[in-house]
Amino acid sequence: MRPARLPLLALTVAAGAAAPRPAGAAAGSIRGRVEVMREPPAPVARPSIGELSMPSPRDLPNRRRSVVYLEAAPQGAFEEHEGRAVMDQRHETFVPYVLAITVGTTVEFTNTDRTYHNVFSLSKPRRFDLGRYAAGQSKSVRFDRPGVVRVFCEIHSHMSAFILVFNHRFFATTDADGRYHIDNVPPGAYTIVAWNDGEPREARTVRVPDDGGVVEQDFVVR
Amino acid sequence: MRRAALVAAGLVAVASAAGAEPPVEPRRLALGAELSAAIGPEDRGFFNFTSYQDSAQRLARLSLTAEWHLAERVALLGEVRDENFARPRVYALYARVRPWRDRAFDVQAGLIPPVFGAFSRRRYGGDNPLIGYPLAYQYLTALRRDAVPGTASDLVRARGAGWRVHYSFGWGNDEPAPGLPLVNALRWDTGVGVHVGSGALEASAAVTQGTLSSPRVHDDNGGKQVSVRLAWKPVVGLVLGASAARGDYLSRDVVDSLPPERRGHDPQQAWGVDLEYSRDRWILRSEAIWSRWRTPMLERSLGALGVTAEGRFKVMPGLYAAGRLDHLGFTEIDAPAGRLTWDANVWRVEAGVGYTPMRHVLAKLAYQHNRRDGGRVRERALLTSQIVLWF
Repeated sequence: MRPARLPLLALTVAAGAAAPRPAGAAAGSIRGRVEVMREPPAPVARPSIGELSMPSPRDLPNRRRSVVYLEAAPQGAFEEHEGRAVMDQRHETFVPYVLAITVGTTVEFTNTDRTYHNVFSLSKPRRFDLGRYAAGQSKSVRFDRPGVVRVFCEIHSHMSAFILVFNHRFFATTDADGRYHIDNVPPGAYTIVAWNDGEPREARTVRVPDDGGVVEQDFVVR
Repeated sequence: MRRAALVAAGLVAVASAAGAEPPVEPRRLALGAELSAAIGPEDRGFFNFTSYQDSAQRLARLSLTAEWHLAERVALLGEVRDENFARPRVYALYARVRPWRDRAFDVQAGLIPPVFGAFSRRRYGGDNPLIGYPLAYQYLTALRRDAVPGTASDLVRARGAGWRVHYSFGWGNDEPAPGLPLVNALRWDTGVGVHVGSGALEASAAVTQGTLSSPRVHDDNGGKQVSVRLAWKPVVGLVLGASAARGDYLSRDVVDSLPPERRGHDPQQAWGVDLEYSRDRWILRSEAIWSRWRTPMLERSLGALGVTAEGRFKVMPGLYAAGRLDHLGFTEIDAPAGRLTWDANVWRVEAGVGYTPMRHVLAKLAYQHNRRDGGRVRERALLTSQIVLWF
C-alpha cells in the first residue's frame, strides 16, 4: 500500500485515533527493515561557473536512511519532550541527512567545516535563518510544531537535509543496515509508514497483540 | 616571456605550499537554469545601459549553465544566455583541469571567468542583492575600442553619452556605438588562466585576447592582456583582494587608420582592490578600480576611478535589505572650454529588498538614484522590480 502524499503534519496530529489500551495489556515492539531499492539521485550543486578552481571536496549525504512511524499514535501518546539533537555540517554535508525528533526538541546546528555555513529553512512548521557562522560554532533552533522541515545552506546550494518533527514518540530512524525498532507500543492496530528521501513511500497495517511481543514489518522502497 | 616564467614558477611554489586537496567526484554532470526578469521605467539617462545596449533595469534573461566532470580532475563548463529574446550567446565555455592531484593548482582555458576584481564572477541573480550593477562594471564611458577621438574637444563632446559615442573628428569607425565600461561584467574574455592555493592565500593569473573593457573571443589587435589577482583570507568570512591588468584595447583597424607616427601599443591598465566581510546576517563588500587608457591622439592617458560599497542584511527568514553606494570619477583634460573631466562623473545610490517565498524564487524591489555632472539627462531615479527563478 502506498500512502497518500499527505504532509507529515496531518499524519502526526492524529494522536488518539487508535483503540484504547485494554487493562492489563503489555506493550509490544514493531521492528523490521527498510530496503531502499531506488537509487536516490546524488545532490548536485549549481555549476561552479564563476569559480577559478575545482570545488572543494564534499561528502555525500546518506539518502538511504529512512524514518518509520505510526500514522496515528496511541491515545495519550503525546507528551512534551524537551530533548536536544545535533545536526552537523561536515564536508559541506548535513549530518545526519534525516533527523527525526519530537515536538519541543532543540536542534544544535554545529559547523565543523573550515568555511562559513548559513542554515535556513522556509518550511511552514519552522522558518528560520541562522546567519553565517564559522567552524567550531553552533546555533540552535527549537521545533514546536509537528511537520517536515526542509533545511538548506544559503552558501552551498547542494546542501540539504530533512527534520521530521513528531508530536509522539512512536517513530524510529533506520540504522546503516536499514533496520528499525519502535518499542513500547500499546496493543492495537496501527498504520505504519516508511518515509524516505522526502516522501512517505510505503504504508502497512500492523497489529500489536494484547500480550505484547514483537511484530515484524519490513518495507521495500522502490 | 621571462616575466611570465617567473610568475608561473611562483604560482607553482604557492601551489605546493597550499598542500593536498582531494578532487571532487568524477564523471558528474551538473545543470542549472536561471530565469530573471527586471521591470522598471525607461532609463532616459542611459545610466544602466550595458555593452549589449540593454538596460539592466529592463532585462529578461534566460541562462543555462552546465558543469561536466569528464574525469577526476577534468571538467567542462559552459553558459548560454538569452537576453531580451535576442540571439542566445555563449557567455562561458571552458575546460578546468587540475594537473596534480595533491596540489591546489588549476588551469582554465577557453572563455574563462575573469581573475580581475570580484563582481564579474558573481554569476547568478542571487549573487547580486540588488538589480543594478556597480558602475565600474557596467557604465559606458566615452571611450571606444574601434574609434579614437581626434582631439580633446572631440572627446569631451561625448561626455555623459557613453551609450552612443561618436567622434566628429575621430579616427576609425565613424558610426555611433556604445563606449567601454571600466570592466565589462557581462562578457568574459578568452584565454588561459591559472589559480593556486585553497587556504588563506590564493593567487590567479590569466592571459587573454581582449581587455577588461573589451573582452574578446578573437584577438583583434595582436596584443594579449595579462591579469593577476591575489586574495587573502586572514579569517573565515573576510576576503581581501588585489588585482591588476594590462592589455591593448584598440582594434587593429583603428590603429591602422592612424597617422604612422601615432601607431603603437595603446593599453588599458587597471588596478583594483576588493573586500568582502560577512558574519551572521551581514555581508559587506567594497571595490575600488582604477583604470587608465592611453589614446593615440591625446598626449595624456585617460584615467577613471570606480568605487563601490554594498551591504546586505537579513531582516528575517527569506527577507533581506540591501544598499549600494557607487561613484565613477574621471581625470581632467584641457579642452577649449577649459579644464574638464574627460567624461561626466557619476554617482549612484541603490537600495532595495529581496524576498524568497520558496527556495528557488527570489523577488527584488530596488530604488536607484543616478546623478551625472554632464550629458543631456543629468539625474534619474528608477524603481524596479525583478523576479529570479533558478533550478
